[in-house]
Amino acid sequence: MSLYRILSALLSYPEQDLLDARDEIAAALAAHPAACDTLRPLTDFLAAHRLIALQENYVATFDRNPAHSLHLFEHIHGESRDRGQAMVDLLAEYQRHGVEPDVAELPDHVPLFLEFLGLIDEDEAEALLDDAIHVLAAIGRRLARNESPYAAVFQVLRTLTRVEPRDQTDPPIRDMDEALETFGPGADGVEPLLKPQPGGTHTVHFHPRGQYANAR
Amino acid sequence: MSHFLDRLKFLSRVKSTFSDGHGAVVDEDRKWENGYRSRWQHDKIVRSTHGVNCTGSCSWKVYVKNGLITWETQQTDYPRTRPDLPNHEPRGCPRGASYSWYVYSAQRVKYPMIRSSLIDMWREARRTLDPIAAWASISQDPEKSRRYKRERGQGGFVRADWDTATEIIAAANAFTIDKFGPDRIIGFSPIPAMSMVSYAAGARYLSLLGGVCLSFYDWYCDLPPASPQTWGEQTDVPESADWYNATYLMVWGSNVPMTRTPDAHFYTEVRYKGTKTVAVSSDFGEMVKFGDIWLAPRQGTDAALAMAMGHVVLKEFHHGGKSDYFRDYAKQYTDMPMLVLLREHGDCLVPDHFLRASHLAGNHGEANNPEWKTLEIDATTGDLVVPNGTIGFRWGEGKVDDGAKVGRWNLEQKDGGSGREVDPLLSLIDCRDEVAGVGFPYFGGEHDELLVRNVPVKRIALADGGSALVTTVYDLQLANYGVDRGLGGGNVAASFDDDVPYTPAWQEKHTTVKRELVIQVAREFAQNAHDTHGKSMVIVGAALNHWYHMDMTYRGIINLLMMCGCVGQSGGGWAHYVGQEKLRPQFGWAPLAFATDWSRPPRQMNGTSFFYAHTSQWRHEKLHVDDILAPTADRGRYGKLSLIDLNAKSERMGWLPSAPQLRTNPLQVTAAAEAAGQDPVAYAAAQLKAGTLAMSCDDPDDPANFPRNMFVWRSNILGSSGKGHEYFLKYLLGTQNALFCDESDTVHPSEVTYREQAAEGKLDLLTVLDFRMSTTCLYGDIVLPTATWYEKDDLNTSDMHPFIHPLSEAVQPLWESKTDWEIYKLLAKQFSEIGGPYLGTRKDLVLTPLLHDTPGELGQPLEPRDWKHGECDLIPGKTAPNMTVVERDYRDIHRKFTSVGPLLDKLGNGGKGINWDTRHEVRELAGLTRAVTEPGISEGRPRLDSAIDAAEMILTFAPETNGHVSVKAWEALGRITGRDHTHLAVGREHDKIRFRDVQAQPRKIISAPTWSGLESEEVSYNAGYTNVHELIPWRTLTGRQQFYQDHRWMLDFGEGSCVYKPAIDTRSVAPMLGRHGNGEHELVLNWITPHQKWGIHSTYSDNLRMLTLSRGGPHVWISETDAAQAGIRDNDWIEVFNLNGTLTARVVVSQRVPPGMCLMYHAQEKIVNVPGAETSGKRGGIHNSVTRAVLKPTHMIGGYAQQAYGFNYYGTVGSNRDEFVVLRKMKKVKWLEAPRDAAREG
Repeated sequence: MSLYRILSALLSYPEQDLLDARDEIAAALAAHPAACDTLRPLTDFLAAHRLIALQENYVATFDRNPAHSLHLFEHIHGESRDRGQAMVDLLAEYQRHGVEPDVAELPDHVPLFLEFLGLIDEDEAEALLDDAIHVLAAIGRRLARNESPYAAVFQVLRTLTRVEPRDQTDPPIRDMDEALETFGPGADGVEPLLKPQPGGTHTVHFHPRGQYANAR
Repeated sequence: MSHFLDRLKFLSRVKSTFSDGHGAVVDEDRKWENGYRSRWQHDKIVRSTHGVNCTGSCSWKVYVKNGLITWETQQTDYPRTRPDLPNHEPRGCPRGASYSWYVYSAQRVKYPMIRSSLIDMWREARRTLDPIAAWASISQDPEKSRRYKRERGQGGFVRADWDTATEIIAAANAFTIDKFGPDRIIGFSPIPAMSMVSYAAGARYLSLLGGVCLSFYDWYCDLPPASPQTWGEQTDVPESADWYNATYLMVWGSNVPMTRTPDAHFYTEVRYKGTKTVAVSSDFGEMVKFGDIWLAPRQGTDAALAMAMGHVVLKEFHHGGKSDYFRDYAKQYTDMPMLVLLREHGDCLVPDHFLRASHLAGNHGEANNPEWKTLEIDATTGDLVVPNGTIGFRWGEGKVDDGAKVGRWNLEQKDGGSGREVDPLLSLIDCRDEVAGVGFPYFGGEHDELLVRNVPVKRIALADGGSALVTTVYDLQLANYGVDRGLGGGNVAASFDDDVPYTPAWQEKHTTVKRELVIQVAREFAQNAHDTHGKSMVIVGAALNHWYHMDMTYRGIINLLMMCGCVGQSGGGWAHYVGQEKLRPQFGWAPLAFATDWSRPPRQMNGTSFFYAHTSQWRHEKLHVDDILAPTADRGRYGKLSLIDLNAKSERMGWLPSAPQLRTNPLQVTAAAEAAGQDPVAYAAAQLKAGTLAMSCDDPDDPANFPRNMFVWRSNILGSSGKGHEYFLKYLLGTQNALFCDESDTVHPSEVTYREQAAEGKLDLLTVLDFRMSTTCLYGDIVLPTATWYEKDDLNTSDMHPFIHPLSEAVQPLWESKTDWEIYKLLAKQFSEIGGPYLGTRKDLVLTPLLHDTPGELGQPLEPRDWKHGECDLIPGKTAPNMTVVERDYRDIHRKFTSVGPLLDKLGNGGKGINWDTRHEVRELAGLTRAVTEPGISEGRPRLDSAIDAAEMILTFAPETNGHVSVKAWEALGRITGRDHTHLAVGREHDKIRFRDVQAQPRKIISAPTWSGLESEEVSYNAGYTNVHELIPWRTLTGRQQFYQDHRWMLDFGEGSCVYKPAIDTRSVAPMLGRHGNGEHELVLNWITPHQKWGIHSTYSDNLRMLTLSRGGPHVWISETDAAQAGIRDNDWIEVFNLNGTLTARVVVSQRVPPGMCLMYHAQEKIVNVPGAETSGKRGGIHNSVTRAVLKPTHMIGGYAQQAYGFNYYGTVGSNRDEFVVLRKMKKVKWLEAPRDAAREG
């Protein structure tokens, strides 16, 4: 069983079926002893509380706290218009592999993304994770700072890529004056906050390209 | 092994074929596409708009790619305006342009949410109980109900599935109906025009149950009561394009560039045409930059400025005889020639009622409604005449004299008795019998409280053999404004420099505006109106209307417009833009919204009185009735009555509505009546009289009278417009609050029951529908995720432009959200299944007040009489609320919800006093949406399945969107006015605007008699246009625009004529000063809460982009002077508090703000960057944490022509600008970020 699939399940909204699958998850994790250890705070947490308490915690952690949002592009594009295009590109990536979202979730929902990684060729999965790890690690760091057991999932993800996560700045640039001085209004005249995207090919990118290009 | 991990939870394999194998999915290399794939590629563009309460109704192109919204841009395809007028576009502001991200925002409510303690108890109870018993076991158990009520606002949500969430709500509704009555189910949703189908969905569900819809326009204090008082019209204003027709434009307390951004270009453009513009604003608002002249009165004193301008105009143009146009306009279109009785009061006379035909011998020949017909003198013959058009002619003429006087409700200058032409006499000055001293109440403080001025009068013989002195409204107005007419006596001004109310010199003391400027502007305004026949316009706004005595400012300005003949003229008149969004197809929408196609009447309640009573703000009342009574009032009439007593009196007399209505469940009242073999109405009337049946308003804290279930949708009442926020939290919700007032020094009622133990946590269930986790959602028990404005089909209209605009489903509702229409449809289904068998068929007794635009508005002529005090008999519909028995089969709620009912065939449709047959449209709609085929009560009826079906119902039945209906409506009006108006619509008779049409392009409405303006190729829409040009009376007592108000309460509270009244003393600061000292200097400032630049109107401000552009959280503006005094620097953290509560914010120190006031923009929510308050130790509140609603008795008047109730038309209003606060720097900023339980213990 792909580790991604296990992580996806653990990071989903807890329902009775998740609790019922405890043994199955434990058995699957036996094949990944390191991950199993890292995940122990979370699996213990899931075992220790009533479902209603787990659900309340999940809602408070992820639904009510934008800093922990499980939508990747929330952390990259925030309120930018580029978010729509980014999701379109990610969706196309799924479709290229012959799958598409079946539930009322956005393509950049982390458990969905992890499930996808679990379905595809390992090398390809790692390539995508290489790109996404910067955001995932940032979410993980915030969860850890707030002492959430869910930080464990992201810790495991760190071990599945050789890429060292870069520091994630909070998008968008908050200083309007600086943004205007740096970039000026975009070619369309309406986007002073955002670096215009170059035309041409779009591929899935989980970090704001312009910003890092400038930083280096 | 269950293979839990093998199951795909989020993804599915793409099917390799589709369309039964005719299509195949191939995975070929598509890199070749990249060559031209670009940023601006999209699959489709969908037209939608933002259903926000900004009145914009702007057209937007929403771009969709692969089922995802990528961006939006302004749409620029509005129909062109006429030659010589700028176009409407581009519409849409930067705030609207930042909306598309919200669709995917982390702030969205994605799943149905329920408070965990509630769902936990629910699941437990449902193990053994059916849904209704389960709800009873939780909500009626004091300990269990406290458990979830006290957690409101404290987090603790879990996701729920739709089935469970709607099951709980349906069970709660059914239980409440059975145990307490359907009128304990309350709904609050504002401004239908912003998404009228969504509004209608909830209102239809509630109305079918017998629940109550609360009004909002009055509660928001956006309703200007001066408009119904003067015109009998809720609000009718010019479209923004008509600003371009003005040649003198005043913008008074309305920040047009900021709050009406897409319309402001007309304000700019008209200046290029040469129009002079004057800005009136106490602070340096954005509109001031556009003004050629800036007048800056001290906040809240604008009435004094308006009165002084009126003084100049009356003196120079009327008394000075400078304008025939003004004189002729006043004669025909205002009440100025009408005669007013004068009553003795001490040493002088005071103005009393209008003289009525019923005062004269033989009713002066009027058999029908003589007490509702006012009189004037014909200048040609000197005879007393009953002119055409007074409200007595509006109703019932067909029942007497073989209908000889049918068709005389018009403004032709004729004697309504004989039908001959008359020339109304404006002033008695040249034919007076004598000159008499008449007293005018004065509230300014620095002069006598009764100012006696000489007025020309005539003596006339009365029916009882006695006689009385009368004068005209014209003569009264000249005296009221202090114009010296050479009649001798005091209190009149020979010069503008005399300090006599209401001269320019006098106003200087109150407003600080230089008298020369006032004289200049008044002269220019009037001269321009004279030269152009009325093209002087005043745009007015919230800065004026949110004060306790807003009617005085508004009437002062309206008087100015009337005396200059501006109302009803293109480019002239009164342009009030405060919160109202014009629901253009109102009478196509009403049957859908209030389910009047299935049962009538619906239950409706005025929001302000409801919240005042049920958030227990009345228990904290500090304003005595005595404080506001005029010196001319008979104080004995008011005794020890408090404001809540007067409101209860108003309810039982049928003036204002009630909710809940009776202490006893209305279903039980009808059952008891039937058991006793009596007619339920007669039974209830007898029981009320005997005192064995009580009205709920008499004891709001009795649990039998609590509102129990409440729905809030399309609204953020707790984060935005809930005046007295902390009172809501404490009393209605029963949760944590920061209310400081301990009820000491408050006014106790003398008739309404005061209980020592206040009721807390009245609501058993608060259901909130929203797409964002607003402050209101935080307090909800159940939060249901709704579709955003790009995920639903709906309609949107505005008063700012004449187009009907759609909202369209660009993408399907995301996550588990559903449209409001689908949510309430689902609830209707759940309710029918759960509550239907439980309740079966019941008979409901519905109480309704005496309604405006119905014969009920002629309920109580002359003196008000209270049946409870034996002053008259209790006659439902005359001296008390109307009572109607309505049968409801609770099994059929869903069937009725989803089809058009038969009452439209039987009773027709209509509004504003006219009614037309609409059987043809029922058939037409059945052809469009198809008839229901399933057996049952709805079989064969037009189907209302989708939101588009609902939209088609609105469009088919409304005269504004169906030319045939418009012609029928004009015909119906013509039968009452005796004039042919159909020429206004025949040109568009075959026009039918359908939903797909408005998706293709916004469509201009068809002129309809339910509005007072026209949409034509000749004029822009302007209010009062058809009154002036088609001679249709205003819907007032005199049928004219009224300078004078003669209801007893209006006279007793000193508002017969317009006067200047300073702000009231809310007494909420003194007890707090120094009591919570932190060592910092405490400033006492006036509290002003305008609309902002950095929020999506008052809907939300948690948009990161808006936060980035402003201060990133709550902020309050103060002046440099005040800041220096208190040692406060820009961006310091401050706390703002008074007896009502407290809030925390950063301070903006600005030259823009005058000393003595502070500004906090509306709707900055608790959810973003709000630290704890030092005074309360709890998280700071919102701008309404320091306000409390105070009712005004004159707004409770009913059953009296234009002062008769209508939903959102008349009633008490939630004013909030008379409030003062303590503002001081914070010593410590605490974020209270510990977990909830620890925080509680700490």
